Amino acid sequence: MNATPKQRLGWSTANVVVVLIAAIPVLWLVSLSFKDPSTITDGSYYPHKWTWDNYRGIFDQPLFTHALVNSIAIALISTFLGVALGAMAAYAIARLNFPGKRLLVASALLIAMFPPISLVNPMFNLWRTLGIFDTWVGLIIPYMTFSLPLSIYTLSAFFREIPWELERAAALDGATPIQAFRRVIIPLAAPGVFTTAILVFLYCWNDFVFAISLTSTNNARTVPAALAFFTGASQFEQPTGSIAAAAVVITIPVVIVVLLFQRRIVAGLTAGAVKG
Amino acid sequence: MGIVLAALALAVAAGCGGGQSSSGPVTLNWYIFPEFSGAFVKSAAACSQASNGAYQIKIQTLPNAADGQRQQMVRRLAADDSSLDILGLDVTWTPEFAEAGWITPWPQDLAQKIQNGTLQTMLDTATWNGKLYSAPFNTNTQLLWYRKDLVPNPPKTWKQMISMATELSKQGKPHYIEIQGAQYEGYTVWFNTLVASAGGQIVSDDGQKVTLNQSAVQALDTIHQLANSPAVDPSIGNQMEDQTRLQFEAGRAAFELNYPYVYPSAKADVPDIFKNMAWTVYPTVKEGVPTHVTIGGIDLAVGAFSQHKQQAFDAIQCLRSPQNEIRNAVLGGLPPVLESVYSDPKFQKAYPMWQAIFTTLKQASVRPKTPAYQSVSLQISYTLSPPTSVSAKDLGTLKSRIQDAIDSKGLVP
Amino acid sequence: MRLGAVADAGTAVGTGRPGRRPITERARAERRLAWLLCAPAVAVMALVAIYPIVYAIYLSFQRYDLRFPDSKSWIGVDNYTTILSSTDLWWQAFGVTVLITVVSVAIELVLGMAVAIVMHRAIFGRGIIRTAVLVPYGIVTVAAAFSWQYAWTPGTGYLAGLLSSTAAPLTHQWQAIAIIILAEVWKTTPFMALLLLAGLSLVPEELLRAAKVDGATAWQRFWRVMVPVMKPAILVALLFRTLDAFRIFDNIYVLTQGSQNTRSVSILDYDQLFTALNLGVGSAMSVLIFLATALIAFAYIKGFGAAAPGQELER
Repeated sequence: MNATPKQRLGWSTANVVVVLIAAIPVLWLVSLSFKDPSTITDGSYYPHKWTWDNYRGIFDQPLFTHALVNSIAIALISTFLGVALGAMAAYAIARLNFPGKRLLVASALLIAMFPPISLVNPMFNLWRTLGIFDTWVGLIIPYMTFSLPLSIYTLSAFFREIPWELERAAALDGATPIQAFRRVIIPLAAPGVFTTAILVFLYCWNDFVFAISLTSTNNARTVPAALAFFTGASQFEQPTGSIAAAAVVITIPVVIVVLLFQRRIVAGLTAGAVKG
Repeated sequence: MGIVLAALALAVAAGCGGGQSSSGPVTLNWYIFPEFSGAFVKSAAACSQASNGAYQIKIQTLPNAADGQRQQMVRRLAADDSSLDILGLDVTWTPEFAEAGWITPWPQDLAQKIQNGTLQTMLDTATWNGKLYSAPFNTNTQLLWYRKDLVPNPPKTWKQMISMATELSKQGKPHYIEIQGAQYEGYTVWFNTLVASAGGQIVSDDGQKVTLNQSAVQALDTIHQLANSPAVDPSIGNQMEDQTRLQFEAGRAAFELNYPYVYPSAKADVPDIFKNMAWTVYPTVKEGVPTHVTIGGIDLAVGAFSQHKQQAFDAIQCLRSPQNEIRNAVLGGLPPVLESVYSDPKFQKAYPMWQAIFTTLKQASVRPKTPAYQSVSLQISYTLSPPTSVSAKDLGTLKSRIQDAIDSKGLVP
Repeated sequence: MRLGAVADAGTAVGTGRPGRRPITERARAERRLAWLLCAPAVAVMALVAIYPIVYAIYLSFQRYDLRFPDSKSWIGVDNYTTILSSTDLWWQAFGVTVLITVVSVAIELVLGMAVAIVMHRAIFGRGIIRTAVLVPYGIVTVAAAFSWQYAWTPGTGYLAGLLSSTAAPLTHQWQAIAIIILAEVWKTTPFMALLLLAGLSLVPEELLRAAKVDGATAWQRFWRVMVPVMKPAILVALLFRTLDAFRIFDNIYVLTQGSQNTRSVSILDYDQLFTALNLGVGSAMSVLIFLATALIAFAYIKGFGAAAPGQELER
């Protein structure tokens, strides 16, 4: 792409602005996490008195470390399963004709739309009866279920855009359906799949309602729920520093996951450009 | 093959029979808020040991905020969960839990033991329909904290306090009166204190009817006066206990109405402000009439579906023994419910303000006792928010909304 | 080219139903494959979600207050009338919710598109930019909300300090709503941007180049080339974002707890269910929220027409 120096400057500035806007509130959290409790109210963006106490504090008790492990594992497993199931259904919806398609799509949306807060009580009762209350499975199941609509919609939107001729061209070239699928469809579907994966992962990661209702101990409690258990130095003190420190710590795995996945999007994009 | 089967059967029988019956301690699950200093952990361990193998107390932590604690327990009790043995209830929950059949009343003989030597107002919070449903565990109440460098003689009434603060504002000195006015439970606490201090109460003793009258008008007037004076903090509509503490520590306030936890906090955070920090009893509404500050705290109850009620009753009595009460007070900053502890030198040393706390507790008031308390509280804080909009005209609206809440009619805010 | 049609005519095998076109062997195989592919997803959704949803709908016709368990009874649509006749709570919350939804989604669409284009044309550090842009969405919502709450608290926060010294924006309805919208936009623009970026990636470069050669301006290239190809992606982004925005909860809960009439319908529902323990009214409110979101979804799908997933495919 040939851009004039002026254009390059323009785009570079835009890049910097975007990064800054995203970063400033995050850096504020970082700053809060390093602030000494006595300076929390000084209103300044930078800490005048630095301390590692907040970080030390959150790792002192097993609550946070367990929550971190739970969050990562549950989110990864739910994402993998949810995207796999969603991709299969989305492929069928986008590229095959069958009766009941509209019904399926509509019911999937219905499930995504019903407010989860009124579903947690019956789910709690059911989970206790089945013995999966306060387990990983107990959270993976609702996360999978309620992210399926998003998966299906997003993936079918992408699968639709993949040109039909490619499959047939590959068949004409002598490739088996499986080969055609692997060599032609998958690279083109990659941006959609990884986009969906990131969105589903973050949905599971951010969820609070199910996490607080379907867990009760460190066995399965995830980070958003664990934040509700953080204490300040007394019953009334808000654990500002601890929450800020926890927020910073839990952002790191997200940054890593995103960094890893976003490369796949780029790879998918270049593959698409070569093919198209 | 037969020998293997027999061995298996023996192993299974040994495994089944060994755990329960008479041998082996019973596990009592104690659902309580996360106590940062570890005082509860020590108490639980001490009591488990003292039981000589009768029971092991296992602490199950609940969320930090009272609402979260209530949600967790209610959800499980509504599902008849038998694993809830000992419950740490906020003082306002006893009528609700009792009416719903989620907690067990104390047997007469044990109730007598609990009642001996416990603060009367705390017992009031633990009693419903004439029966004792829970055992007071710790308590809390607010004092008036002030800057003695700015205020040589502390005020006795709200009127005095407001005029002192106004005076200070004219002199350009720190002058805010810090009080919790956000739309939440703490605001209801403030309103309840004012109504009680004016001689009235919000709801009848049986919890069926709203009883706001002239005393409520005085309460509303007081809020109105404060909110329209230079003494009010502009963020009053968004302030809870911690925000008011931070404002005082930042040196912007001359007065603060808050719980004793602000004292050690100021000592650690702001030694300069701390050396000028003094305390006294909460100001009254009417000159000469003692103030009745709303009481807070935790009562311990036995779950209605617990399989080990006898052990739970025993454990609770141990958890609130004088020794453990002192430990909770000194380590955890939680004032005790046993009157005898207030004369203990160890306690007095850790609490220089013990006299003011004790006086306040002896004449404290309770919040409306009704199973629908949560809704009542929401309606109160909703109607009176923000403090700057409050006036005596709100009385009618307040009365009808509270009555609806008691009758579980309509929506809650 | 309708390959399928040619095949149909040549190899019809029996009739599926009276009066209908005969189902070809190929079509039947296609259906089987489709059902097989959909089966796991359908099974999961049906088994897990159907019981709680049906139970919630059932409860909505009951008077059921957990605090008074003896008074459980069938009351038909009474819960619904209670809710719909409440102007100062339900309709107030509804209005606030609609306002927040419309404003935040509109802003996010524009900003998201802009950010997607910037990410697409990243000059340096593509990975860094894309990661940086996604971090707001990746931070746990309540933690981000705390960040904003502290920032706007007078004295403690750096943003409150930019206003006058006595300004407490979170205590006034309209200012608080503006802050809530800001927090929402900051948090979920990456969601939009990501979906739009993936949609952007499907726009063929040669089409754009050809348009440029034909003399189209950047604006024309955007509207005539990019947007039409991106339509499905835009629909998905808008649809899900609107549905989520309508059910906003976390940000409001942390910033204002819904006080000063900044509550959304979800917060109001939460109060009925978890604070008042009034499961009857709470479930009815959930059904109403669900119906409102269903209306929104319906409007989008009708509006976008053929771009919706599940529409008849042209082959």
